[in-house]
Amino acid sequence: MSQNAIPALNPDTPVILEMNRISKTFGAVTALVDVSIKLRKGEVLALVGDNGAGKSTLIKILSGFHHPDSGTIVYQGKEVHFHSPRDARAQGIETVYQDLALINDLSIYHNMFIGREYHKHILGMKLLDNRKMRELAQTYLNSLGIQIPSVNSTVDLLSGGQRQSVAVARSIYSSPTILVLDEPLAALGVREGAHVLGLIQNLRRQRSVSIILIVHNYNQVFEVCDRINFLHSGEIVLDASTSETSEEQLIRIVKSGLGRQAIAAAAAEVRAGTESTSTGGL
Amino acid sequence: MPRTAQSSPGAARKVGTAAPSTFLERALVVLSRYREASIAVVALVLAIYFQVGSNGEFLSSQELSVVLRDTGRYGLIAVAEVMLMITGEIDLSVGSTFSLAPYVMVLMSIGWGVPLAVSAVAGILLGVLIGLVNGIITVRFRVPSLITTVGTFFLLQGVVVSIYNSQPIVAPVQEPFNEIFGENLYSPTDSVWSWHGLTAFTPFLWTLVIVLAMALVLNRTTFGLHTIATGSNIVGAREIGVRTDRIKVYNFMIAGAFAAGAGVINTTQFASADPLAGGPFLTLQAIAAAVIGGTSLLGGSGTAIGSLLGAFVVATLNNGLVMMGAQATVSDIYLGAAIVLAMILNVQVDRMRARRRV
Ligand SMILES: Nc1ncnc2c1ncn2[C@@H]1O[C@H](COP(=O)(O)OP(=O)(O)OP(=O)(O)O)[C@@H](O)[C@H]1O
Ligand SMILES: [Mg+2]
Repeated sequence: MSQNAIPALNPDTPVILEMNRISKTFGAVTALVDVSIKLRKGEVLALVGDNGAGKSTLIKILSGFHHPDSGTIVYQGKEVHFHSPRDARAQGIETVYQDLALINDLSIYHNMFIGREYHKHILGMKLLDNRKMRELAQTYLNSLGIQIPSVNSTVDLLSGGQRQSVAVARSIYSSPTILVLDEPLAALGVREGAHVLGLIQNLRRQRSVSIILIVHNYNQVFEVCDRINFLHSGEIVLDASTSETSEEQLIRIVKSGLGRQAIAAAAAEVRAGTESTSTGGL
Repeated sequence: MPRTAQSSPGAARKVGTAAPSTFLERALVVLSRYREASIAVVALVLAIYFQVGSNGEFLSSQELSVVLRDTGRYGLIAVAEVMLMITGEIDLSVGSTFSLAPYVMVLMSIGWGVPLAVSAVAGILLGVLIGLVNGIITVRFRVPSLITTVGTFFLLQGVVVSIYNSQPIVAPVQEPFNEIFGENLYSPTDSVWSWHGLTAFTPFLWTLVIVLAMALVLNRTTFGLHTIATGSNIVGAREIGVRTDRIKVYNFMIAGAFAAGAGVINTTQFASADPLAGGPFLTLQAIAAAVIGGTSLLGGSGTAIGSLLGAFVVATLNNGLVMMGAQATVSDIYLGAAIVLAMILNVQVDRMRARRRV
């Protein structure tokens, strides 16, 4: 297996996050119907599904950007209501959005620290400690081996891959409890993509942060994820452990036609083989 | 990705961009980095032009105190417009707030015998309230601020002219309040360093202090950073936890406060509250100052210092041409041309910056 010798997660590991029966509609568009996911401490969960399946909507509900029409979020044993991304970040949930949420007119280091700026007090005024943020950003990006020009340059001068790297670096800087990555590899070259996968793999090895990873590439899913949730037309149709599902099986499910019945049938077939360790709440 | 050695931060200054080679490129790079530089040059050239054209009269302290007075009035409102324009909004109601706040101040002082210093604070708080209303209508009801503030402009203008049927009212004079806020006019016998000479410049000096403070707020505080983020990428800013609605509302409140403050200073100068003191023309002059100063309407960038320089250019065009014997109306032709040129320059500097990308 392509597990890089990372031992499978202990099945008794406590659940850190539960999203229960989340539904969300945008006007006439139904984005999510009764979606439930569970994330255990230190687990890397892959969220896969076709374009428009509702993956981004689900994680934006977790990050406090959207509010669910119904459903609950239980985080670290308590039901939580995030009114804004500020709340979620304050409680240790960091998100790399699909659009990266970088501010083009600000420098790299301001982007790194926006929302949690460092200050210094001069004559009773609370001013930004730009020097400190600049140095911390430079040191941190270097330590991750992320290749960027000076941290002083504005992010609009960066390439797509560099932007993605900065967004990922920002999200892991604060050692979050839960890290959500929405297609963090999309714009990365082969080498840079492998690099970010390596970062995720390192985090996984330490089992200190729980990760939800949205990706389209199944190689990557099997390389770094413990479990996989397949979202189709706003519903979770498969919840399986990567160590007990093969890439071929997954591809069979995906290709089983776009009908919900067909996917559910194929998923059930796969589940039948993985029943023993299924963690699923299906 | 470009490989740059980054062992020593600060030393490595490569921005992943081609180094500027020709003089013109270098000049544009300087301009893009220091927006204010370009407008400072324009202001200087204008001052020299009028100084020569008026046989050395323009920079005489007497004339200068008049120009700087106008600079102060436009600049105080313009710096607030800059903040709003950075968030991607605009406030057209400032011209009415400018008239209404001091009108209320004077009515309070006359009617209830409240000291001017107290009623002035009340007038400014009224401005803050107007800004709050503008802001809430804009962010909660999603009405574009261009529309919101056209509405509140007429509404407030209607209120102030209806109080006493458009009549100006004579304001009480209380020292040192009136002196501190610009009652004194510079006379040829004054020394700049005398109290009387110095107070002739107070409308400008107050604005100078506030503009410097706003430059600090914009560039060195979390509020400034979030203001830029809001205008640069509102969705991204929200995603990362910037409270963009609040940031906008606060900036509307600042605009209301500064417009009211400028109105209070204006009324104190002339010891009279005129319901027609502000009006649409003042709103547009302040926006012109902001734009000439290097702030674009697109949001995400702007300069506080630039707004003061822009205000100086507007005031200089207004006064300088008249001084050289032109009809007062002619100055609008130059002002109009200056705005168009400033916008072209702003856009070009932006594009030059974009072109230097690798
Ligand atoms: N803000 C919004 N307003 C209206 N509709 C939306 C909004 N956000 C998402 N949707 C709709 O909800 C559905 C799910 O979108 P979502 O972005 O969650 O999909 P996704 O799984 O992330 O897709 P992709 O793989 O393309 O990123 C889509 O039909 C989309 O059009
Ligand atoms: Mg998506």
